[in-house]
Amino acid sequence: MELMAHSSAFLLPTISGDHRPSFTYVLVVLNQRLPRFIPLLWKHSQLRVCADGGANRVYDEMPFLFPHEEALDVRHRYKPDVIEGDMDSIRMEVRDFYTSLGTKVVDESHDQDTTDLHKCISYIRDFTPDLDRSNLCVLVAGALGGRFDHEAGNINVLYRFSTMRIILISDDCLIYLLPRTHYHEIYIQSSVEGPHCGLIPIGMPSGNTTTTGLQWDLNDMEMRFGGLVSTSNIVRGEKVTVQSSSDLLWTISIKKT
Amino acid sequence: MDLMAHSSTFLLPTISGDHRPSLTYVLVLLNQRLPRFTPLLWKHAQLRLCADGGANRVYDEMPLLFPHEDALDVRHRYKPDVIKGDMDSIRTEVLDFYTSLGTKVVDESHDQDTTDLHKCISYIRDFTPNLDKSNLCILVAGALGGRFDHEAGNINVLYRFSTMRIILISDDCLIYLLPRTHYHEIYIQSSVEGPNCGLIPIGMPSASTTTTGLQWDLTNMEMTFGGLISTSNIVKGEKVTVQSSSDLLWTISIKKT
Repeated sequence: MELMAHSSAFLLPTISGDHRPSFTYVLVVLNQRLPRFIPLLWKHSQLRVCADGGANRVYDEMPFLFPHEEALDVRHRYKPDVIEGDMDSIRMEVRDFYTSLGTKVVDESHDQDTTDLHKCISYIRDFTPDLDRSNLCVLVAGALGGRFDHEAGNINVLYRFSTMRIILISDDCLIYLLPRTHYHEIYIQSSVEGPHCGLIPIGMPSGNTTTTGLQWDLNDMEMRFGGLVSTSNIVRGEKVTVQSSSDLLWTISIKKT
Repeated sequence: MDLMAHSSTFLLPTISGDHRPSLTYVLVLLNQRLPRFTPLLWKHAQLRLCADGGANRVYDEMPLLFPHEDALDVRHRYKPDVIKGDMDSIRTEVLDFYTSLGTKVVDESHDQDTTDLHKCISYIRDFTPNLDKSNLCILVAGALGGRFDHEAGNINVLYRFSTMRIILISDDCLIYLLPRTHYHEIYIQSSVEGPNCGLIPIGMPSASTTTTGLQWDLTNMEMTFGGLISTSNIVKGEKVTVQSSSDLLWTISIKKT
């Protein structure tokens, strides 16, 4: 079984050369209040995509994160590369502003069968020839909280694109899929994340999960909704390992700074 | 198969006599920002429990919902009946304040195996002889958002106590379990909820779900994470029916007023 390594290096102020593997980060911004560290995620990313109303959020809220600067300067500096989605939330003034600066608008309003995040991930996967996708990691802000059906739909995108690295990030935590096809090593960046964590068998019970590096490690343990789900666990060291018979969601808290 | 009827009458200003069945509401407050309509839920409830730091929230935030009133008056008026949990979040001043007013404190700090919500539900089920539990409905504020492992643990409580009516409520939406054992009729209170809704097979795929009353109804449809789940659906009328081979989570948006 192949090894898959994970690290929240994207939460560090600088990503040093010895964090391997070296990732190409793409940022997707959905329509919820921006996490406070979004400028950091923006800085690490090679491509920044707003899903529909996510463009309103960048337009309205980026200036709040730089209150001593001129709003227009901040808006110029944080210009998305692409705005994608069904365009039912983005304000006209916001769309016009970014279009005039060269942002590419991909209007998918004809497609009501997939969520905005799904459309963005498909776009990143299929329509970005200039991007080095050999080690792609998609960071998604605004996928959690708010309406629960939106959150569930966003989590489902992780399962539908299970061979891609996609991380849902909020002010409080991050989530990503640990596919059952791999043995997972999660390197903990304890200056920025933890100690609270969990392993969640969303979608399907897991007959068998084994971990190391947690306060309450699992040993061939069955996990399921209605029974045991690993929540309020604690990371104990620098590395957590996970192997499971089903796909699991890994979640870890993000430190308040 | 037995019928189970559901209605969000607890979101209405008054619950009139002809809304059947007549339910006994209990309110549980967890440690997240209070929904703006918490006073309404409080009014409908026969019993109000704070789970640990939920008491801090009531103490700090109820006065903010009544800015023209004296904070102390508000705190006296919104006094929880019980504070329960492992007591690692509640502030001493808050604990002392409510204790002096007669709030019962049930300290479960020895039990680290179950979540605060789980402890509250067990308490309501097993230790409230004065409560009419023939038609009990537990309203939970603060269960969604924030740390995802907390949210997952709270959703798991719905599955673990699947024979009880437990509704998780946020500012944006509500969630409850539709057990596979029943045919469900959901009466929509369109003045306060909808139109956005969803059906989410969180714990287990559902081989077959059939609905009526939705914009995109399901007919013997399979739902699973990694495939189809029903999100961003729309309620079409006054009643939605659901029957499924697996437990599903029903979610509906709450209207901003």
